[in-house]
Amino acid sequence: MNSRMLNSSTLITELSNSHGNTRDYTEKSLLRHLLFRVFLCASVAKIFVFIRLKQYLKPVGSGTNPLRKPPPLPAHLFIILLLSLAASACSQDHDDAFHDQFFAFGTLIDLTLYGVDPATARQASERIEQDFQDMHNSWHAWQASDLTRINEQLATRKTATADDSILSMIAEADRLSLQSNGLFNPVIGELIALWGFHDNPLPIGTLPDKDTLNRLVAQRPSADDITIEGNRISTRNPAVRYDLGAFAKGYAIDRAVERLRELGIGNAIVNAGGDLRAIGRHGDRPWRIGIRHPRQPGILASVEIEGDTSVFTSGDYERFFEVDGIRYHHIIDPRSGYPADRTASVTVIHGNAATADAAATALFVAGPDEWSSVASRMGIKYVMLIDTDGIIHMNPAMQARIRFEPETNAVIRLSEPLP
Amino acid sequence: MTRADRILLVFVVCILPFLYARTWSPDEQARYVQIQAGDAEPIAAELSPDRILQVHGPLGDSVIEIKESQVRFLESPCTGQQCVHSGWLSAAGELAACLPNRISIQLLGQHPLFDAINF
Repeated sequence: MNSRMLNSSTLITELSNSHGNTRDYTEKSLLRHLLFRVFLCASVAKIFVFIRLKQYLKPVGSGTNPLRKPPPLPAHLFIILLLSLAASACSQDHDDAFHDQFFAFGTLIDLTLYGVDPATARQASERIEQDFQDMHNSWHAWQASDLTRINEQLATRKTATADDSILSMIAEADRLSLQSNGLFNPVIGELIALWGFHDNPLPIGTLPDKDTLNRLVAQRPSADDITIEGNRISTRNPAVRYDLGAFAKGYAIDRAVERLRELGIGNAIVNAGGDLRAIGRHGDRPWRIGIRHPRQPGILASVEIEGDTSVFTSGDYERFFEVDGIRYHHIIDPRSGYPADRTASVTVIHGNAATADAAATALFVAGPDEWSSVASRMGIKYVMLIDTDGIIHMNPAMQARIRFEPETNAVIRLSEPLP
Repeated sequence: MTRADRILLVFVVCILPFLYARTWSPDEQARYVQIQAGDAEPIAAELSPDRILQVHGPLGDSVIEIKESQVRFLESPCTGQQCVHSGWLSAAGELAACLPNRISIQLLGQHPLFDAINF
């Protein structure tokens, strides 16, 4: 842990049971740990000295003279073995990875680096933080940004110009949208805004105006309506509004991983609000990723990943509001204009984070009946979908890869193998 | 080797598994919660006794509840309430954040079972 711990608790007020327990617990634990290690080393060293001393303290005439005849070889080897075990216990670090967290890109970024010296790690982390900030400013769907400017131009003139970096991102989003049969749709910004999932939530207890919603759905804005030529983007459908919320995070994580590699860092996890891409491994073992249960506290399953792998989950439990006891979440089915209501969560494992991000959304919308055909079209190899009845749907390759923690008693439905 | 040596060695062999378990086994139990408010230094809080903490952020106070070694956002002055929707955190490594109020909480342990939590 590199997290900076302070004794200061000025920011926190205890409201009940004030026993003064909010304090620097890390240092206390580390101290306890250190004392244990010292005790361990000392014990083994003492045993060694004791055995040697006994050799010297044997009474004269008892048969053997320790000065001329040392203990038999196996005993020596055994002592050396014990000492080396103790030494390795003493030197074993509890976690030698570098961790840093910062708020950026409208989420909490959690960066883990392995095998990097602290100064380099700190520099890399600052660089990544700045990158995320820049991307946020450029791609924001409703605060003034390059993307909102493109949206305004498309709405008024059906054409807009943009620089290469944002155009390549838009082109990638459009390509994935077409692959997903439009279930991941990056141009339904108006619909998302109508549901209040931008910055202006609906008044409590209300739903979007039905007529407006139906009109937006009938206009069928889709990536098919977009043409990109050079640095010019044009549309034949004036209802097109980019909102890259279901994709930008993945795309940004991909850029962050590129940056880490440029900086010579080969073992890392970039985790943006629970969605992540990991490269390399954690020393002599793969990275271990826990997947949260969509309906109860704690971990549902775990997966080990290494090399270059993204794990993305889209769930109905993060951004939502309730009206008359019904949950309305932020993953909108572009075909109906309403939140996709048969899926609780979808987890996708894939190399590239942008694809994993778009696929998690598309498969969520596809639901328990259609997910495997959409996954095939998008080239996704590992999927787990949990429907709103708690049934776990996955493909055989995912089942072989994932470990439930503990064993689940939920119904598991396996699909045909994905191509 | 005398008899005493042998007894000693047997004793050492017997305690080795315990030492291994104590030193190397992963410890998924969260030990404390790390609370970060804005750019301030993170603060660690023990997971017992059960209690309620109030953390000050730019929008106002977020209320964090610690109960039976779990932790959650009980209330927050944000509009989306994503932090409250995150529910109870129970495994080391799990985190929840209130972005508008710039407050995050994360359970930490000595030997967490996971390097990252996906949700």
